[in-house]
Amino acid sequence: MSEEKVIRVDPVTRLEGHGSLTIKLGKDGKVKDVQFNVNSTRFFEKFLEGRPMEEAPRIAPRICGICPIPHHLASIKAVEAAWDVTPPPAAIKLRRLMIEAKQYSSHAIHFYALAAPDFVYGPFANPADRNVAAVLRDLPDVAVQAIKMMEFGQELIRVIGAKAVHPTTGIPGGMLTSLKEEDRDFFIGRLEEIQQLTLNTVDLAKKVVTDYLDVITKVAVVPTYYIGLSNEGVLDIYDGTVRVQEPDGKIVADFEPKDYTKYYGEHVAKHSYATHMYYKPAGYPEGVWRANTLARCNVNEKMATPLADAALTEMRELVGRPSHHTFAYHYARIVELVQAFEWCATLLKDPDICSTDVKLSDVEPKAGDGVGIVEAPRGILLHNYISDDKGMLTKANLVVATNNNIAGIEKSLMVAAKQIFEDKAHESLTLPEPMVKR
Amino acid sequence: MADPVPVAMGQGSSCWGCFQSLVDIHLRLAEVLPAIEIKYWQAVADFKLHHLESYEDKSIVVGFFEGMARTEEDIHLLKLMREKCQILIAFGSCSCFGGIPGLANFSDIEECYDVKFRNNKTVEGGEVPSENLPGIASVVKPNSDFVDIDIYLPGCPPTPDLIYTAVSALLSGQPIDLPPHTVCHYCDREKKDTPIEEVLRPYQGIADPDRCLLEQGYICVGSSTWGLCEGQCVNMGSTCRGCFGPPPPITQDHGAASISMLGSYAPMEPEKIVEEVKDPLGTFWRFDYPTSHLGRMRIKREEAKEK
Ligand code: SF4
Ligand code: SF4
Ligand code: SF4
Ligand SMILES: [Fe+2]
Repeated sequence: MSEEKVIRVDPVTRLEGHGSLTIKLGKDGKVKDVQFNVNSTRFFEKFLEGRPMEEAPRIAPRICGICPIPHHLASIKAVEAAWDVTPPPAAIKLRRLMIEAKQYSSHAIHFYALAAPDFVYGPFANPADRNVAAVLRDLPDVAVQAIKMMEFGQELIRVIGAKAVHPTTGIPGGMLTSLKEEDRDFFIGRLEEIQQLTLNTVDLAKKVVTDYLDVITKVAVVPTYYIGLSNEGVLDIYDGTVRVQEPDGKIVADFEPKDYTKYYGEHVAKHSYATHMYYKPAGYPEGVWRANTLARCNVNEKMATPLADAALTEMRELVGRPSHHTFAYHYARIVELVQAFEWCATLLKDPDICSTDVKLSDVEPKAGDGVGIVEAPRGILLHNYISDDKGMLTKANLVVATNNNIAGIEKSLMVAAKQIFEDKAHESLTLPEPMVKR
Repeated sequence: MADPVPVAMGQGSSCWGCFQSLVDIHLRLAEVLPAIEIKYWQAVADFKLHHLESYEDKSIVVGFFEGMARTEEDIHLLKLMREKCQILIAFGSCSCFGGIPGLANFSDIEECYDVKFRNNKTVEGGEVPSENLPGIASVVKPNSDFVDIDIYLPGCPPTPDLIYTAVSALLSGQPIDLPPHTVCHYCDREKKDTPIEEVLRPYQGIADPDRCLLEQGYICVGSSTWGLCEGQCVNMGSTCRGCFGPPPPITQDHGAASISMLGSYAPMEPEKIVEEVKDPLGTFWRFDYPTSHLGRMRIKREEAKEK
C-alpha cells in the first residue's frame, strides 16, 4: 500500500447507539488511528435543570430505550439520596425485580438478535442473510425460544412499571403501585419453561465458545481497567459500592457512590459527542476502564445465585480473572442472564412481593446533592442531581454506560485493526463452519 | 404467501425505545418478519448508509423514522428515507413532535455545551468535539419541517399493540383506523367533577386508587392526550404526562389544550394552575414543545439569529 487511507464504517450496525468508525492507515499500511465516533447527543443534563426532582425519573429513561429501567431507578435513587428518603423494603424488592427482568430480556435480545447472526451465518455472510429475520426463517425453534425469553422479561417489567419501555411507577419514597397477585402467579407459572430456555441458551453459548475459542483467546485481547458495582464482592446490579480493578487484577478502589468525583475522570475526545471515562488517579488514557458484563464479572469474586456462580467458575477456567478478552463479553452476558433469571424466580416467590406497603406518604423535599448508581445491561450508570429546598433540580451530571465503554471499545478496536490490517491475523484463525450455510 | 414488502427503519437522534416496542410484539414477530424485506435497519441488519443511498427512489414501500433530526446526519437520513420510501411514518413522539429531547429548546445550545463539555462535576474545560462528526443544529426542529410525513404514529414509545395494528394494516394495504378518544376514556378512575383544593406533587400522600388523580390534586393531562396507550399509566397509579401528544387533529397545541382542559375537567382556574404548578412548560409541553405555538416562536427566534 502506498497511499494513506481512511476507512469509514457508517453506521456501525447491530449496536445500540449512534456510531460510526474511522480507521486511518498510513502509507506503510500501519494503523495510525482508530476513532469510534458517537455522532449524536441530546443534552439531558441541561434540560433536567429546572424540572421538579420527582419528574427526573420520568424524563431520564429516554436516554436509552433499551435500558430505561436502570435510568428510571438510578434517577429515583439520586432524588432519594438528595432528599434523605428511604423507601419501604417491599418497594426495593419490586424495583429489583424490575431491573433483573430488564437484565434478563436485554441479555437475551443481545445474544440472539445482535450477536447470534454472526455465528449462525459466519462473520462473512451477505448482510441480507446475517440478521435476526433470517434466523427466524432458518432456525425458527431457536428464534421462538429467544422471543419467549424476551417476552418474559419485558412483560414482567410492564406489570410492575406500567410500561415495558420508559416505566412510570417509581417515585421518590417507593412505588406508585404494588404487584397484583394474579400477575405474580402468572409469572411463577412461566418459570419452569423459562428456566429450561435459559439453560438451553447456556448450552448454545458454550458450543459457540468452544467453536470460536481461537477468536476469543486471540483477537482483541486488551488489558484495561474495569469498573462495576459490587455487593461485598458479589455481583449486584441494583445496589452496592463501586469497584475499580487494575489491568493486573488488583482492586484499587471500592467506594460509596457519593464519593465518585474522586475516582471518575471524564475526557472530552475531539471526535466523539460521548465523553470517555477513566480512572482518575491513573490519568487518561492509561486509566481507561471498561464496564458491561465482563467488567462486572472481573471486579467481583462471585455471583449471587448458585447456577450463575457455577457458570462463572466454568468461564474462569477458560479465560481467567481478570479476563481481557473482548469476545468473552458474550460469555459473561450468559453468566449474568442466568443470575437475572434466578433473581426473578426468587423475588417472584418472595412472600412480600405483593405487599401493598410500597410507598411513603410523608416525603418532603429538601436542598441536597444526591448520587444514584445502578448497573445497566451495558454497564454502570450514574445520576447526580442537586436539589433546592423546594425540590427543584438545579444541576445534573450523568455518566452512562456509553461513556464508560467507548474509550475501551476504541482500545480494543485499535488492537483488532492492527491484527487485521498489519498482521492479517484473521487469515490464520481457526473458524468453525457456519451453523447455516446459504 | 405474498411477496415480502420492502421496509426501511431509520433512526435520527433517539433512544431506540420505539424499535424496542416494535420488538415487544413478541410472538407476532413470527408473522410480521417473514412478511417484510428489511432494506435498512442499523440495529438489526448490516446494511450501511451507502446501500440505502444506492436504492432507487420510492423502491421501498414503507419507512419508519424514529427520533428527531438535529444533526446533519439525522437530516440527511430523514431526507433519504423520504426519497426512497413510498410511505414515510413518523414513528414515535420524537419523530412526530420533537419529543423529550425537544426540551433542549428551553436553552441556548451554548448553555447545553457548557454542562456537557465545559463545566460539570467530572468535566472541565473541554472543547466541543468536531472531528469526523456531523454538526448539531442550534435547536430541535420538527421532522415535518424537513420532509412531508404520510402517517404519524405517536407515543413514547407507541405501544406494541398499536404498532402491530398499524403494521398489519400497512402490509395488507388497508388504511390505519385509530380511535380518537383521550386517555380519560380508558381510565378506570371515577370522576365526580369536584374542584381541586390544592395541587399535589406525585410523591405526596397516598392517592385513592379508584378516583380521578386530577380531582385529588395530582396534575394529570389524560383529558387532553390521545388515548392510543389505553391509559396504561393512570390505571397503574401514575399520572399521565401526555406522551402520546394531542388527539386528532394532532397539530393542535397540546400544552395549551391541557391547561384549558384541566380547567374544565378538574375544575381549576387557569391562573391557579400557572401559580401552583411548579414547571408548566416542562409539564404541559413535555413531549411536544417544538411543534407548539411557543416552541415555534423559539425556533423562529433562532432562525432569525442565523440570517
Ligand atoms: S419517542 Fe420516546 S421511545 Fe421513541 S425514540 Fe423518542 S424518546 Fe425514545
Ligand atoms: S384526568 Fe387522569 S386520572 Fe382523571 S380520569 Fe383522566 S386520565 Fe384518569
Ligand atoms: S397514560 Fe399518558 S403518559 Fe402514560 S403512556 Fe399513556 S399517554 Fe403516555
Ligand atoms: Fe456528564
